[in-house]
Amino acid sequence: MRGSQNRSFTSTNSSRAIAAPPIDLTQDPPSNPQNARVIPASPSYFTGRPDSTDNYLDLLALLRRYQTLPTVAPAQAPRVAWRTVTQYRLLVGEPVRASKYHKVIEVLQRLNRIHPAVMPSPLKQAMEIYKRDIDPYAVSKRPNIIDADGRAYGVGRRKSSSAKVYLVQGEGEVLVNGKSINNAFGRIHDRESALWALKATGRMDKYNVWALVSGGGSTGQAEAITLGAAKALMVFEPALKPALRRGQFSSEFQSQ
Amino acid sequence: MSLQTCWRCLARGSNQPHPTRWPPQQPWNLYPSLTAAFTTSSSLSALPPKKKSKSPMLETNVKGAKKTFVKKTKKRQKTDSSKRPEVGERRALRKRIVLSNTNALEVEGLKDINAQLMIDESLRGQVLGIPGPVVDQLRAVEAFKVKQGWPLFRRPAMLMRKDTLDMATEIENISLGIRDKTIRRVFVGERGSGKTTMLLQAMTMAFLKGWVVINVPEAQDLILGHTEYGPLPSTNPTLYTQRTYTASLLNAISRANPILQDLQLSQPPPRTELPIPVPPNISLSQLAHLGAQDPEIAWPIFELLYRELTLPDRPPLLLCMDGLAHAMRNTHYISNTYQPIHAHQFTLINWFLSHLSGESPLPNAGLVLAATSESNSPPVPSLTLALAQLEGNAAVQKNPFATYDARVLGVFEQGGVQVRRVGGLCKQEARGLMEYWARSGVVRQRVDEGFVGEKWSLSGGGCVGELERAVVRMRV
Repeated sequence: MRGSQNRSFTSTNSSRAIAAPPIDLTQDPPSNPQNARVIPASPSYFTGRPDSTDNYLDLLALLRRYQTLPTVAPAQAPRVAWRTVTQYRLLVGEPVRASKYHKVIEVLQRLNRIHPAVMPSPLKQAMEIYKRDIDPYAVSKRPNIIDADGRAYGVGRRKSSSAKVYLVQGEGEVLVNGKSINNAFGRIHDRESALWALKATGRMDKYNVWALVSGGGSTGQAEAITLGAAKALMVFEPALKPALRRGQFSSEFQSQ
Repeated sequence: MSLQTCWRCLARGSNQPHPTRWPPQQPWNLYPSLTAAFTTSSSLSALPPKKKSKSPMLETNVKGAKKTFVKKTKKRQKTDSSKRPEVGERRALRKRIVLSNTNALEVEGLKDINAQLMIDESLRGQVLGIPGPVVDQLRAVEAFKVKQGWPLFRRPAMLMRKDTLDMATEIENISLGIRDKTIRRVFVGERGSGKTTMLLQAMTMAFLKGWVVINVPEAQDLILGHTEYGPLPSTNPTLYTQRTYTASLLNAISRANPILQDLQLSQPPPRTELPIPVPPNISLSQLAHLGAQDPEIAWPIFELLYRELTLPDRPPLLLCMDGLAHAMRNTHYISNTYQPIHAHQFTLINWFLSHLSGESPLPNAGLVLAATSESNSPPVPSLTLALAQLEGNAAVQKNPFATYDARVLGVFEQGGVQVRRVGGLCKQEARGLMEYWARSGVVRQRVDEGFVGEKWSLSGGGCVGELERAVVRMRV
């Protein structure tokens, strides 16, 4: 929807900037065609960037028109991902300077602060074209939950390996791809790293692990299970996050 | 003006192979033969000067170059002066069984297993020492294996796990005559789960109960082509005997089973059967010793001994074989038509498998035990299939495209063979074992619930071999 609006927006604007109202030669008294001259409709007709300038001027006009409407604090304003300058350049097809576009964004942010309850619909439409096609703030991660069978899972990746690890409360039994852990990993070091999340938190004998892991070599697979198990453990016990951080996990886990 | 040089020199000058390679020459250098008046060939086309043979002390004094001394060290020929190992020394070192370590701590209060104690259910999870005489017997039948952890401890001891206690009860019941049927059983399980140790525990308890134990420590030894063989006359299909191996087996039987000294030969064998005269009323131990001394008569003596042991009022028998898969395929021996001989055509293997299959039951009851191996096991699909079916594993189905060995399937066709999967220890047993390790000084950590649980998980659910690897051998 938004894309189709964008296309119509640019075409009308360009025509507005280029064309002047047609001269009526039949009017009375007839004007002298010798004196007739084309008066551009847009004030930005003589600039090299007619569309973007027009858009900016339109925004300023809207701001003048609605500046008396009540506003909310910036933190309360709805979070909007505006187009980046590159995306805007592609949209209007003109070489827009970043500094100029920054001014546009400033006006947009001010307009966005108008209280949502009284936000006029023409303003909403005008602002719509500056929003990104996909709103990243609208995408929310589905929270991991413990399912009806008491399982929680986490996905871990390391090197070329990817592991899906299910955790269920139990006595410390481990199955990796349907095999016991000593058949899955010949090295004891790999077994320890696979179960490190449980060991670092002292939960080794509290949960059963059931993992599916593929890709990569044995070290990568073991460490992919580490991360998956840590994420699944966080579903059961979110308070263990600091302990897991202290357990020297990879940077991915530390940044969360 | 006449030319300074003769025509011959001109000819030579034009014969230069690659005139363009050389820099443009000055007119007075055009005829290099001038510089070497005594030779007729051009110095440019001369061979490069020969390398002087280097004298060790000095190089030739080239004009303008310094006289240099080049010190030449004599190359020493490295001769290996180390002592070569004697013939068989390395093998002896490799096969050496160490059962005691004086550096290990002596475990205080370690109880020894005995015939009365072994069925005590309350001992589950405890480690019991193996009495010295039994250790000697076990050593004689080669029940101890090299890679097992015996050298870590002061003296051999064994863990009373659930399977051990079950078997102890069975041995007790057979000894008491409550159960008169032969129990035939194959131990399967993952690597390091304790299948071979189950055989050892069975032998320990059988010795304690006064049974006669016949053990084939490795079926591989019988098929590898390392011991001599020969056809048994008047057999169809031809059976083959391994007389040296049989002689050593008789030796092991006579040394390991002192009870044979109390058992007497019931009647002298007919001369058709044994080529030598056997004195009447000799003990069975002496009889076995006779066969051990003379490989020529080892197999007839073995047959006679076995027949004597199956007479009424003889003790129960325990027959064991480890590495069963090796006894289920073609051997490395060849027949006189250059065909590989199947393992079932060897008398000893045939004798054991006839007991395992139930074809020849033990009249005085007893146990026939075999163990598979995961680390040294040739692929035998027929055995895998048969064991899986007996175990009730529906996942293993007959592959329509594979060929199965009818002889192998025939061993298990009659039914009655129990396939017992040796699994992991439970946590209580694992804890008892770890406490024993701690008291022996090989574990320094505090043995508590967390430690036991952690190692139990790391070893894949209490797989004993892996537990030992993780706790005792991988000490940081």
